Amino acid sequence: MSLNVFIGGVGGQGLVLLTRVIGDACARTGIKIITGEMYGLSQRSGAVSVHMRIGDDVFSPLIPVGEADIMIALEAIESLRYIEYLKKDGIVLINKRIMHPPIETSKIVDSKNKIEYFALDQVLSRLNEWTSNIAIVDALKLAKESGNVRTENTVFLGCLSALKIFPIEDTQLKQSITDAVPKKTVEMNLKAFDLGRQYAYDSLCTKVACRK
Amino acid sequence: MVLKDVLTKEARPAFMLGNEAIVRGALEADVKLVAFYPGAPISEVLDTFSAALNEFDYQMEITSNEKVALEVCAGGAFSGVRSLTAMKSVGTNVASDMLFVLGYTGVRGGLVIVMADDPHAHSSQSEEDGRFFAPNSYIPMLEPASPQEAKEMTKRAFEISEKHRVPVIIRTVTRVNHQSGIVQLKDFVRQDFKKVDWKDLQEKYTTLGEIARQRKLQMLKRTQKLSEEFENSEFNFITKADSSIGIITSSVSYLHVLEALKILGLQNKVNILKLGTTFPLPKNLIQNFIKNLKKLVVVEELSPYLEKEVYILAKATNSNLKIFGKLSGTFSEAWEYTPDIVTTGIALVTDHKVPNYRALIAEAKKLKADLPDRYPTFCAGCPHRATFVALNKALKIQVSKGQNHYFANDIGCYSMWIYPPISRSDSSLCMGGGVGLANGLSHVLNERVVAIIGDSTFFHAGIPALVNAVHNGNKFTVFVLDNSVTAMTGQQFNPSTEFIAGGRKGKKVLIEDICKAIGIPFVEVVDSYDVKNNVEVFRRALAFDGLSVIVSRRECALYGDRVKRKHRIPIVPFYVDKSMCKRPYVCLRSFYCPAYELDKDRQPHISLELCDGCSVCSKLCPLNSIKRAGVKT
Repeated sequence: MSLNVFIGGVGGQGLVLLTRVIGDACARTGIKIITGEMYGLSQRSGAVSVHMRIGDDVFSPLIPVGEADIMIALEAIESLRYIEYLKKDGIVLINKRIMHPPIETSKIVDSKNKIEYFALDQVLSRLNEWTSNIAIVDALKLAKESGNVRTENTVFLGCLSALKIFPIEDTQLKQSITDAVPKKTVEMNLKAFDLGRQYAYDSLCTKVACRK
Repeated sequence: MVLKDVLTKEARPAFMLGNEAIVRGALEADVKLVAFYPGAPISEVLDTFSAALNEFDYQMEITSNEKVALEVCAGGAFSGVRSLTAMKSVGTNVASDMLFVLGYTGVRGGLVIVMADDPHAHSSQSEEDGRFFAPNSYIPMLEPASPQEAKEMTKRAFEISEKHRVPVIIRTVTRVNHQSGIVQLKDFVRQDFKKVDWKDLQEKYTTLGEIARQRKLQMLKRTQKLSEEFENSEFNFITKADSSIGIITSSVSYLHVLEALKILGLQNKVNILKLGTTFPLPKNLIQNFIKNLKKLVVVEELSPYLEKEVYILAKATNSNLKIFGKLSGTFSEAWEYTPDIVTTGIALVTDHKVPNYRALIAEAKKLKADLPDRYPTFCAGCPHRATFVALNKALKIQVSKGQNHYFANDIGCYSMWIYPPISRSDSSLCMGGGVGLANGLSHVLNERVVAIIGDSTFFHAGIPALVNAVHNGNKFTVFVLDNSVTAMTGQQFNPSTEFIAGGRKGKKVLIEDICKAIGIPFVEVVDSYDVKNNVEVFRRALAFDGLSVIVSRRECALYGDRVKRKHRIPIVPFYVDKSMCKRPYVCLRSFYCPAYELDKDRQPHISLELCDGCSVCSKLCPLNSIKRAGVKT
């Protein structure tokens, strides 16, 4: 058994914490996991990515091209930046949110021609050429609903936990969340997890197999 | 970081970053003195030791540079105390003066030097191959592939160091430092830290002339002994197969090889020699491995370091051996390896079909057309952005007066000025290099030379170049961007911070005091956020007929946020009052804050989640349309 999850996002979105939580749950339950983490520089707003590999049959910290079963994009544009890693017809969990890099805004302001931002429907139409198993997650909305806007990463973990191919029990993930996040945010993170999980059941499980 | 896994005395599996595993290994080995200058990809070694400092009994320093860190640890090891430092290999360049003499003198106690290379230059100025430090300094080297191995090697390195009275290098690459995996923790007992008496330990650590010549002979003998010992090291192992094809590999490339063999259906069908002791090499082991092979693939990143050694050994044992590596053109010396690169290479040598990577990558490339780049950029609230806005204005005024400029950047967050949309730097090279370069440029250029350096870099390697400028009467302008911490590597403390390792109280060293003490005639300190007033101060510094220094001071926004959270000081964001905004875009042009976005009708607005409340954009707006959220006017 092996499962490859590629996680892309923007510095400051909590990719590292998300990785820790899953890894910690694996360590506790005897599941092999290897990750290759690319933090970028220690600033916010840069591109950040994690290659996550779960199962007995994985060796390299990097996912071979075309072998990711799942792509998580905590920021919409970032899903395309690493698309070659995703299997054809792989599963994409994509944040509705786009964080436009300053260079994109500067081009619009400085150009005499009318340029538009790269938009979510452009991302989706391109993704559709690779796979049709796409779930758009309004993670910021769900995070706000949980009471903490910084729980977008936990919302995605909740989504992930609903998938049948993801081998870690939600109770174990919740235990890891409780251990890893600051004490006063535990409750909000657990709520964000549940909201994410429910969202997956509502919007993704019609297309791909989910846990019962 | 899950600190509890590093701290626990329990023997159990834990999910750990390579860097955390190194710390855990050192703690299990009862390390007593550690010292570091931060740098990707080893910064988390420093961070983890700093976070654990109040739990265990060891001494720790965050030093002003890597050479000092090595010297601190050498002091410990001369006295028989187990010591560890970690540095990126470009930091080893700085420390190498000490490294080479330590090869000669050796040490009494365990001295472990973790040296991290960064193939692909993910966060470095070059793809330096630090392995060559080992043979050049006659210092033994171990190379782990995984976090588990990093922990085991760190422990063993102390024993090797003590047995052979020599420092030991643990050479990693980014994909080992920043690889996480399951690590088996061992329980451990730590002794209390005790000072020792030099009179009990006393021996000579000198090397010069005749002493150096004698030590060289001893050093060669030591290397011979190590080579013999490494023939039986647990870190070198062979996976045998019924095949005339073999692979020699080390470091993370070993893991890519295993992946490649799985992909090609060649698991257990090819012989593998995984080398963990890469200096001195176990020559007999290698010769025995290759003697009956027909084809050998050498899989290593960067230079053909192992490959060239194998060529020499094959000449004696198996001159018909076909060797595939970089010299054969199978692999490149450029950039890091990936499973697909290694799979492709091994497929070609073993006459297997190469998976369709090229087609997938080409197809993906089409989907990425016109995708906005996401270059590293200054965070919302970064004081450097404010300094550069004022500096740009000051430079423009000077240009209008006929003064042109050369812009010498340095290594730190401010390096990002080389990236679009700003892209303004004539050079950006190495730690402190900008100020050193300014000395030379000021002799030969008609333009005014402007050097930019950060607080940490100033203390690291900037001061000697500045003293040189004063002494020789060189005329240029230096901007020291003092944000109180070593921001780019994760906001570690440095001499410009009032804290030291473990968050303990330290003495803040004032940059302006040093500048004044060495006799710089123009030294002014400003608040980076005070953009309006800073333009004129900066302009005067540029126009000054002599050496001028500006210290632009304001703490790193990320560090500041942490301090604010700790003291429960709220971050109050700003918003654009659309009724007053006539869209001159002054807030955006040359400022480029990531908290800004445009609405569909090109109206700028500020993302409340991202705004750091620094207020700088509100000071730039000619229409006063940017206001603090919640504050009525």
